[in-house]
Amino acid sequence: MRHTGFTVHDGLLLAQGLGVSLGLFAGTFALGLVLGSAAAVVRHFRVPALGAALHAGLELLRNSPVLVQLFLVFFGIPALIHQPLTPVVAAGVTLSANTAAFVYFIAVAGLDAVGRDQVEAARVYGFSRAQLVRHILAPQAAAFALGPLVGLAVNQLQVTSLVSVIGVMDLTKAGDILNLRTLRPFAVWTMVGALYFAAAKGLTLLGHHWERRLRAHAPPLGF
Amino acid sequence: MIAVEGVVKRFGTQTVLDGVSLTVAPGEVVTILGSSGSGKSTLIRCINGLERLDGGRITVDGLDVANPRQLAQARRLSATVFQLFNLYPHMTVLRNVTLAPEVVLKRPEPEVAAEARALLASVGLADKADAYPAQLSGGQRQRVGICRALAMNPRYLLLDEVTSALDPEMTAEVLAILGRLASQGTTMLFVTHEVEFARRISTRIVFLDQGRLIVDLPTADFFDPARGLAHPRINQFLSKMTPVGERP
Ligand SMILES: Nc1ncnc2c1ncn2[C@@H]1O[C@H](COP(=O)(O)OP(=O)(O)OP(=O)(O)O)[C@@H](O)[C@H]1O
Ligand SMILES: [Mg+2]
Repeated sequence: MRHTGFTVHDGLLLAQGLGVSLGLFAGTFALGLVLGSAAAVVRHFRVPALGAALHAGLELLRNSPVLVQLFLVFFGIPALIHQPLTPVVAAGVTLSANTAAFVYFIAVAGLDAVGRDQVEAARVYGFSRAQLVRHILAPQAAAFALGPLVGLAVNQLQVTSLVSVIGVMDLTKAGDILNLRTLRPFAVWTMVGALYFAAAKGLTLLGHHWERRLRAHAPPLGF
Repeated sequence: MIAVEGVVKRFGTQTVLDGVSLTVAPGEVVTILGSSGSGKSTLIRCINGLERLDGGRITVDGLDVANPRQLAQARRLSATVFQLFNLYPHMTVLRNVTLAPEVVLKRPEPEVAAEARALLASVGLADKADAYPAQLSGGQRQRVGICRALAMNPRYLLLDEVTSALDPEMTAEVLAILGRLASQGTTMLFVTHEVEFARRISTRIVFLDQGRLIVDLPTADFFDPARGLAHPRINQFLSKMTPVGERP
C-alpha cells in the first residue's frame, strides 16, 4: 500500500532540498566570484602565458553545457584519477568553475570600462599593481559589474537544479522523490517551481537593493 | 636632477623622439615648447615611466627609469599634472589628494589629511574637499590635480599642457597657482602653449621640433632675436603663438 497523500515530512524534504540548493549556489557562486575576478585581473595585466591559458579555458567553460561539464567531472575525472568523487564535490567543482567563467567575462568588461587615464595617473603616482587593483580598478569595476552579476546569480541558482541528475539531494531531487511517491506531478513540480521562483525573486530583490544603495552612495561618475 | 640623455622613442616606424638630451636641476623651471606632434607629451611620458625607451637613458636623481625597481623610487620624487586632470572619479576631492601619500608613501592618515586640506585651501578649494570630480569645473579639477601632485612633496613637478583644456578664465586661475609655485622655488618641467607665461616663470626654454631638441637656452636668450629667435622654426612657431603686439 502506497502513501500518496502529502505529509509534514514532505515539507521537511522540500525544505532540506531547498537548503542544499541554496547552500550549493551560495558556496559555488562565492568561489566562482573569487576565481573569475582573479582570472580577470591576471588577464588585465597581460600576464604572458597564464592570461591566455585562463582565457581559453574559461571560454571553453562558458561555451559548453553545464550538464556536459557535470558529467565530465563526475564520471570523467574519477576514471582518470582512479578515485571516485562524491556527487556534492563534483557538483561544487563544476558549478564553481562554470560560475567563474561567466564572472570572468563580466569582470573583464568591468575592468576595461575603468578609464585608462586615471590608471596612468595611479601608475605615475607609484601605485603597485595590487594597490592599483584595490583602490582604483576594483571599486569602479565592481560598480559596473553589479547589475550583470545579479543577473548571473539568478541564472546560476536555477542551474543548480542540474546537479540532481548525479544524485545530489537538492530541491529538484526532493521534488523527484516526492513525485515518485505521490504520483502527483502537477502539484509537486508546481511547488518545486514556486520555491525556486521565491528564491530567485528574493535574490533579485536583494541585488536591486544593493544596486540602489550603491547608486545612492555612488559618486557622480562621468564627465 | 632629471637627466635625459640621447633618448629615442619610436611608435612603429615613426621616430617620435630622436636623440633628445635635457637636464632639469633643482630650482629650475624648464619649459618645453614645440608644435603639436613634436613629441612633448611623449617626452614627459618617458620621464614618468609610462613609455618604454627605444634608446638613451633617463635618470631622476640617479635612478634609471628603465629599471622597474628604480622607477618605483623615481616616481616618488616627481609628480605629474595631466592635461585632462586624470582624477579618480569614484573618490572625493580630498581622497584624490590623500590617496597616494597614504598608500604609496605610507604616511599617517590624519597628518596627510590635514596637509591636503591646507593645500586645497591654498588653491581656493577648501569647501570642495567632499565633492566629487564630476561636480567641479575644469579649472577646479585642475587645481585638485595640482594639489594631488603637491601632496607628494615632489622634488620635481611635471606638467603637460595643464591649461589647454581650460577656458581663458580658468587658465588664469591655474597659471596664477603655478606662478606662485615657481616663485617659491618649485622645480618644474613644463609643457605649455602659454608662451608669455612661460617667458615670465621659466629659467630655461627648450624647443622640440619633430622629435629633436633643437634649442636649449636661458629664457632671456631664447627670446633674443640674435639667439633663439634667430632660429627660423622658432620664429615661425612664436609668430603663430604670440599676439603680434607682444613680440619682442
Ligand atoms: N601611443 C601612441 N601610438 C602611436 N603614436 C603615438 C602615440 N603617442 C603619440 N604618438 C605620436 O607621436 C607624435 C608625438 O606625439 P606627442 O603627443 O608627444 O606630441 P605633442 O608634442 O605632445 O603634441 P601636442 O602639442 O598636440 O600635445 C605624434 O605624431 C603622435 O601621433
Ligand atoms: Mg601633448
